[in-house]
Amino acid sequence: MKIIPFLFGALFLFAGAAFSHHSFSAEYDATKPVTVTGVVKKVEWQNPHIWFYVEVKDESGKVTTWGFSGGPPGMLARRGITKDVLKVGDVIKVEGFRAKDGSNNGSGGNVTFADGRKVFAGSAEDVAPRE
Amino acid sequence: MQEPQRHKDTKADRRDQGEFVPSRRSAFVSLCLCGFFVCAILALMPALLHAQSIPRTSEGRPNFTGVWAGPGFTHRVGPGDTDAPRVTTYDTAKMSPFKPGGDAFMNRPATHDPIKDDPTAGCLPNGLTRQILSPYAQQWIQTPTQIVVLYEYMHFFRVIPTDGRPHKKDVEQTWMGDSVAKWEGDTLVIDTIGLKEWMLDATHDSKPDQLRIHSDQIHVTERLRYVDPTTVSYQVTIDDPRIFTAPWSQDFEMKLHPTWKIFEFVCEENNRCIFGKCTEADVQKTSRE
Repeated sequence: MKIIPFLFGALFLFAGAAFSHHSFSAEYDATKPVTVTGVVKKVEWQNPHIWFYVEVKDESGKVTTWGFSGGPPGMLARRGITKDVLKVGDVIKVEGFRAKDGSNNGSGGNVTFADGRKVFAGSAEDVAPRE
Repeated sequence: MQEPQRHKDTKADRRDQGEFVPSRRSAFVSLCLCGFFVCAILALMPALLHAQSIPRTSEGRPNFTGVWAGPGFTHRVGPGDTDAPRVTTYDTAKMSPFKPGGDAFMNRPATHDPIKDDPTAGCLPNGLTRQILSPYAQQWIQTPTQIVVLYEYMHFFRVIPTDGRPHKKDVEQTWMGDSVAKWEGDTLVIDTIGLKEWMLDATHDSKPDQLRIHSDQIHVTERLRYVDPTTVSYQVTIDDPRIFTAPWSQDFEMKLHPTWKIFEFVCEENNRCIFGKCTEADVQKTSRE
């Protein structure tokens, strides 16, 4: 399983902001997108954001556990997404942006399961900042 | 002998006999009046139906009690009753011209220190102007004398008297300010002063290198009026004499969601990347070891 730097469009860029209790740019770096594929080790379905942890093994066998934040539980519930959607042991691909502190954490707005199902992805209308 | 010519009844004769005989002019006037009344009724019909159909209290006031999606949503209620959250900022094009120094006061370069750029990242309060635009549900509870607004986001609340009383003297500056309200017909007018100098918008992600801050002189007026039984026109007027030459307004909407409830939101519960510095979770420590 690989860590793949990957460029996203604006659709995903502000996914964190749309669901966040703060501006995306306060904690995450929009210039550092990251995609990882791995096994879900833990899910924290708590405020102010859910967090889920993905164990990723690189080609040399080194294991890194990435943490990704999603939306607040209430906001996700209002969109029909409950804690049952992510289970320990699921193999997922996460597309997100790295935390500004350089740690193995990020904003993980979009998750794709092995069967192709996607969650947390919003439409551009949902996520594009307006002025 | 020639039979005398039979006298032909004229309208004047019929009138002389006490019969009501309309003249052409009076008939025309009557027709016009009828037309006017029909047109007036048709024109007033939507307003009459609207006045009857919107939720009202037993006192006859519009009733705002319920759970609402505010301006921080894209309103498209349908199956599933799921308005979509969106990130919203106040529209620069709606703003009045700046006073000298107003531009520099409001538009400030980001410091890239989250404590300064977005204090909500550390769970500090968001403040009224930001709360209005934030994409979380809000519950309104209306009594004959006050309205209580419970905001899901940050667990904030407002208790707003609606009896038209003025602000108290020497209002202290707070995150949500001092709000009083009055009724102008079916429009609820909420007047707020006493706000701290704080963030104007719900995000600064559209221009990450620039922050927008309002002053502690800001005066916010919210005007709410039902436009149909589930939609409220929500106009926000901002008068910030430290920044702008004149008040300016922006129109939003609120949508009533009978199936929604407000959820618990505890910012401090698991805020793992507080002020941009993430703490390791137990599973990450295991991975590192």
